[in-house]
Amino acid sequence: MVACILVPGFELQAALHSRPRVELRPAALAPEPGTEPLLGPVTAAAEATGVRPGMRLGEALATCPSLVLVERDPATVEQEWEGILKRLEDSGFAIEPVEPGCLYFDTRGVERLYGGVKPALTRALAAVGAAWNASAGAADRRFAALAAAAIARPGQAVVVDDGRSTEFLAPLPLSLLPLEAPRREELDHLGVKKIGQLAGLPGSAVAERLGPDGRRAWSLARAEAGLNEGDGAKVTARPPATDLAERLEFPEAVANELTLRRALTALLDRILARPERGGREIRKVALSARLVGGGSWRRTLTLREPSGERGVLRAALGPKLAELPAPVLSLGVELLTLAESAGRQLALIRPEGDELQTRLRDGLRQVRARAGAGAVATVVEVAPWSRIPEQRALLVPRDC
Amino acid sequence: MVADPGAACAARSARLLEPRFLLARLNQPQAVVVEERFDGTPRLVNRQEVAVVREEWRVLDRWWTEEPISRRYFEVVLESGQNVVVFRDQEQGRWFSQKGA
Repeated sequence: MVACILVPGFELQAALHSRPRVELRPAALAPEPGTEPLLGPVTAAAEATGVRPGMRLGEALATCPSLVLVERDPATVEQEWEGILKRLEDSGFAIEPVEPGCLYFDTRGVERLYGGVKPALTRALAAVGAAWNASAGAADRRFAALAAAAIARPGQAVVVDDGRSTEFLAPLPLSLLPLEAPRREELDHLGVKKIGQLAGLPGSAVAERLGPDGRRAWSLARAEAGLNEGDGAKVTARPPATDLAERLEFPEAVANELTLRRALTALLDRILARPERGGREIRKVALSARLVGGGSWRRTLTLREPSGERGVLRAALGPKLAELPAPVLSLGVELLTLAESAGRQLALIRPEGDELQTRLRDGLRQVRARAGAGAVATVVEVAPWSRIPEQRALLVPRDC
Repeated sequence: MVADPGAACAARSARLLEPRFLLARLNQPQAVVVEERFDGTPRLVNRQEVAVVREEWRVLDRWWTEEPISRRYFEVVLESGQNVVVFRDQEQGRWFSQKGA
C-alpha cells in the first residue's frame, strides 16, 4: 500500500514555530515577493473571520483588519522538513518527499515491523511529531492515499482497504481533485459535486467538455491504474541524505558582495575538508542565509557534473549571492547530495559508438531531471512531403 | 492548526499531474511586420529594407476544406544580409516569416 503523510500549511506552521502565540490569532503566510499578492495558508482563527488561502491581500485585509502577515522563512521550512524526514527514516520508513508538507512511503517494508498498516501509520505520525498536526492516509494508489490523508483529522490515520479506492473517493468533494476553479464551477452547475458523480460520467464526454485536465481528474476519480503519472502505486524512496553543513555568523549584518564571496570561499574550504565527505564529489548543494529583520533565504543548486573542487563550487554558487534580498547575519552551505563514487576515471581515447550513446542518454536524463519532462524532445517527421512547412514535423517529448 | 487541507491537496495533485506529452509543431509561422510595394512584394520586413527578392512562389492547399491555405511566399535578402522567407496569408491578410520553407 501507498501511505501519505500530510502536514497542512507546513510553510506557515514552520514560520510560526518560533512565534507560537501568533498561531492562535488570525494569521496568514505573506505572498512571495515579486509574485501576485495572494495569501498562502492561513490559521484556523483567520479562516473563522472569512480569510481563505489564495485570497488577494487587499481583500483579506479588508475582511480581517487584524490579520497578521507572517513572513516566509524558506530556510526554517527546509530545516524543519529535513528534521521530519530524518526522524521518519530513523524509524525505518523509506520515504519519497514530494514537497515540504507532503510525502509518500510504501507500507510493505514496515507492516511486519510495526504489526500492520495502521500501527505503521501511527508510528509515522509519532515520528513526525504531534506539534505539526500531521495526518496520514494509506490506499492502493497515491491519489487515494493523498485524499485519505487530506480528510483525516490531525493525528489521525485513515486506511482505505485494497481495491476500495473508488468507493472511498466517491462521496468526497470535487475540491480534492486537481481541477481549475472554472472547471469545478462548470461541474457544480451541472450538478456534479462529488468525486463519485464525476467518475460515473463517460470518459469521452468529460474529455470533450473539460479537456485533458478534466480527463485526468476523471481517471483519478475512478482510481484507474496506469493512466496517471502521479497516481501510480509506485513510491521511489529518496537516497539517504547527507548531513554536511557549515555556517558562518557575522558580527554585524553584511551586504557587501565581496565580503559575502570571501565568506562563501571560507565556508567551502571548511565543508570540503570535512572527513565525512570521504572524498566524494558533490551533486547538489544549498546556500542559505539568515537575513537582517528575521527572514531567511535559501537557494539549491544541482551541478551538471558532480565536483569536489572549490573553484567549481564557488563559480556555481557565487552568482546566487547577488540574489540576496537584504543584508545577512549568517551564511550557510549544505551538501545535500553526494556522488556515489569517490573518483572519476578520465577517458584515454575519445568515446564513440555505444559508449557515446550511453553518455548522451545520461546527459539527456540530467536535462530532464533539471528542466522537466518536456525539456527533451525528438523531431518526428509526420508528413515530410507536405508543401506546408509546419505540417512536416512535430517535436515529441522523449523518455531518453 | 492550519485550515483547508483539501485545497492544499488539490494544488499538490495539480503539480504532480502536469501533462507530459505536449506536442509542438516545428517551423510554425511567426508574425512579422511587412510593408508592401504596389505589386504586393515586400519592401520592409520588421523595419529592415529588402535588398533583393530572390524567389517567389505560391502555396494553395486544402481548398476543399473549411480552412483553405493560400500563401504567397517570398525568399528575400535584407539589407543586413539576412536571408528570410516571408509569406502573406491571403485568407487572413497578414504577413508571417517561416523557417524550413
